[in-house]
Amino acid sequence: MNLEFNEDQIDTLKEFINISMGAATASLANLLDAFGTMHIPKIDICNSNELAQKIESTIDLKSMYYATKQLFTGRFGGECMFIISEDSAKNLGRHLYNVTTPSRDDINDAVIELTNILTSTIVSRLTQELNTQVQFFVPSSQFIDANSIVHCEDVSDYSKIIIISTILDFKDQKINGNIYILTKDEAIESLRVLIDKRIEEIYG
Amino acid sequence: MKILVVDDSKIGRMSVIKSLEVIKPDAEIFQAVNGLEALELFRQERPDAVFLDLTMPVMDGYEALKRIMEVDKNAQVIIISADIQNEAKLRVLAAGAKNMYPKPINDENMVQIFEQDLSL
Amino acid sequence: MIALKYPDILLDSLENGHMIIDDKFIVSYWNRWLSINTQIPKGEIIGKSLKEFYPEINYKVFYRKIRTALVIGTPTFYDTNSSTKFISMNRNKVTTSSLKLMQQQVTISPYILHENKVMVSIYDISELFEAKLLIKKEIVKVSRLNDKLEAEKEIIDKNIMMVKTSFDGIIIDVSTLFCQFFEFEKDFLLGKNISIFKSPDIPEATYKELWWSVKNKKSWSGELKNKTSSGVEKWVQTRVTPIMDENGELSEFSAVYHDITNEKLLAQLYITDPLTKLYNRARFDEVINFIVKHQRKADTDFILVIADVDYFKSINDTYGHQVGDEALVSVANSLKNSLREDDLVARWGGEEFVIMLKNVTLDEAKMIMEKVRESVQKIKINDTISITASFGLTKYIIGEDTKKTFKRVDDALYEAKNSGRNRVVIK
Repeated sequence: MNLEFNEDQIDTLKEFINISMGAATASLANLLDAFGTMHIPKIDICNSNELAQKIESTIDLKSMYYATKQLFTGRFGGECMFIISEDSAKNLGRHLYNVTTPSRDDINDAVIELTNILTSTIVSRLTQELNTQVQFFVPSSQFIDANSIVHCEDVSDYSKIIIISTILDFKDQKINGNIYILTKDEAIESLRVLIDKRIEEIYG
Repeated sequence: MKILVVDDSKIGRMSVIKSLEVIKPDAEIFQAVNGLEALELFRQERPDAVFLDLTMPVMDGYEALKRIMEVDKNAQVIIISADIQNEAKLRVLAAGAKNMYPKPINDENMVQIFEQDLSL
Repeated sequence: MIALKYPDILLDSLENGHMIIDDKFIVSYWNRWLSINTQIPKGEIIGKSLKEFYPEINYKVFYRKIRTALVIGTPTFYDTNSSTKFISMNRNKVTTSSLKLMQQQVTISPYILHENKVMVSIYDISELFEAKLLIKKEIVKVSRLNDKLEAEKEIIDKNIMMVKTSFDGIIIDVSTLFCQFFEFEKDFLLGKNISIFKSPDIPEATYKELWWSVKNKKSWSGELKNKTSSGVEKWVQTRVTPIMDENGELSEFSAVYHDITNEKLLAQLYITDPLTKLYNRARFDEVINFIVKHQRKADTDFILVIADVDYFKSINDTYGHQVGDEALVSVANSLKNSLREDDLVARWGGEEFVIMLKNVTLDEAKMIMEKVRESVQKIKINDTISITASFGLTKYIIGEDTKKTFKRVDDALYEAKNSGRNRVVIK
C-alpha cells in the first residue's frame, strides 16, 4: 500500500481538516458561548512508533493532563485523541457547568463532551465527503501525567499512521488543548481517494 | 479587472480561482500565501477585489484586513474562511470586509459576491 | 428501505434501556427493560416529564447534551466512570459485588431532529466497571510491591557483592558494592569474562572444581583470592549458584562474595613465625597431630627432619642478635627454596627447624637434606660469616606416637652434632 502523500494531497487534507475544525470550533463556541481562535492544522505521516515522540513535542512534560480517546469505526475508522492540561480542563468545567470549583466528575464529563463534539464534527464532516458512515464510541478519559500519555500509547499494530493535529483555543476562557486524529491502513486509502477526488474537481 | 486571492492553502486558492474563472473569465488574478505577501501585492497592484482567508501563517487574515483597509479604506475585501463562528463574521464586517463566506466556496456564492457584496 | 413491522417488540427484547425524550424532557417511549429496572411502568411515564420521576438529575447538563446531539447530529455521552448515576438503579447481584448501584453507559442519539427528540440508551456496564476497579486495585498492589522490591534491590546492590554472568562466564550484572570493592567501573566489567578475576595463587584444580559443580547445576562455595584494579589482593568467601531457565537449562550464574581478607591475614599471622615467615611450631603441631590422629595412608608416609644451626650461640655472642636473626632468615629461605611445595617447614624454636618430607624413602630424604646442608654451607652473612647446620632424620612409623618419632630424630641430631656438626644423620 502506498502511504506517501504528495504536497498537493497534504495541502488538500489540511484544508479538509481546517474546514472540519471550523465546524467543530463553531459548535463549541456555541456551547461555551465564546469565541475560538482557529489554528493551522499539522499533518504528520509517520511510523506508529514515532507517535509518542510527536505527542511529547507538543505538551509540557511536567504537567498533568486529561487525555481522552474516542474510537470511531467504519471504512474511515480510527481514534481521536484530545489532550488538555489540568488547568484548561478546570476552566472548561467551570464554563460548562457555571461553577467556580468543578468536581473531578464534572471535569471528566466536560472533557468527554468536548472530545465528543470535536470528534463527531471533524469525523462526520470527513465521512460525509467520503460518502460513508461511521459509528462513534463512548470517549474515555484519563487524568494522567504527561509521561504516561506517551507511555500508554501502544500502537505497535499500526504500520503507518496519519497524525492530524491542531489546537483548540478559547483565549478568553483560557481553554486550549491538542487534538490528534489517528488513522491507518484502509482509512488512509479512503482519505486518499477523497483527496484525489477533490483535487480532480478543483484542478480539473 | 484585477483580483487578489489570499490563502496559505493551494487548494483553497484554487477553488476560489476556479469559481472566478466561471464568473469572471477576464479577470487578472494575483495570488498570495499569507497576509504580508497580500499586503505587498495590494500596494503594488491595487486590485479591484480581494478574497482573503483568515487562518494563515506569518500574518493572519484579521491583521491583513486591517492593514489593507488602512492602505485603502474603500478596498473591496471578501473573507473566505473555515471559521463559521458568528463572532468571526461580526469581527471582519466591523473591520471593513464586505462579506464572509464559509469554505469551500461555490459558484452561487461567487455570483452573489459580485452581484450583491462588491461595489465595483 | 424496509420498515420494521414490530419495532416495539424489538426494542423491548433488548437487554438495555431505551427511552425517547424531547428537549423539554417529555418521555414518549419507555422500553420494557426500563420498566423492569426502574419499577415505573410504561403507561405511567409516557407523556410526562422525566423531572417528575427523577428530580435529582442535573437537567442543565442533560439539556445541553440533548441539544448537542440534535445540533451536531451524532450521539453524545455521559462519562462512564462517573460516580453520579444518570438514573439510580439497584443491582440485583447477591454474591461478591463492590457495586450496589448499576454503573451505566448513557448515550444520547438524535432521533427526530425537527421535534427535538432524542433516544436515550442506558447500558448496564457494572460487570465491566467492577473488573476495571479490580484491575486498578491489583495494579496499585503490584506497583507497591514493585516499589518495595526496588528498595530491597537497592539495599542488596549497596551492601552485597554480587556478580551475574551468562552461562559462559560473561558478566551481565554487578552490584555497586562489588564495583567499589574491586575498584572497577560497572561499564568496564559488563561484557568482560569473569576469568579476569582469576588468581595464579589459587590452584587450577579449585577453578575446575567450581566450574564442574555449577555446570552440573550445583552451587559451589569456597575461598578465592582476587585482585582489585590497583593490584591489592583480596580474599573472598564465594558462593556461585547456577540459574536455570524455564526449561531447566543452565542460563546464568550468580555469585555472591564476602570479604574475608582480614580473617585470612589474622589466620596467617597466627600460624606464621614472624621472623622467618615459616610456619610456627603451633602450626606444625597442628598438622602432625592431625595426621597421627587420622592415620590416613596418604599422609602417614613421611620423614621427620630437625635442623639446627651450628654454633648459633657464639654467632649471636660475637656478632650480635641482628646477625643471628639474619642467619636464621637465611637458613629458613634456604630450606624453603630447596624443598618441594608439599613439604612442610616450620621454625621449631630458637635455632631449630622442623621439616616434614612427604612420600620419600629415608635414603632419598638423606640425599635431599645433603643438598640442603650444602646450600646452607654456601650462605655468607654480610659477605663474610659462614654458617652450617646439622640435620637429624627419621621415618615416621605408621601408628606410632610422635613422641617416639621425635625421640629418634633428636637422637639422630645429637649424633650429628657429636660427630662434628655440618652433617646429616639418619635414625
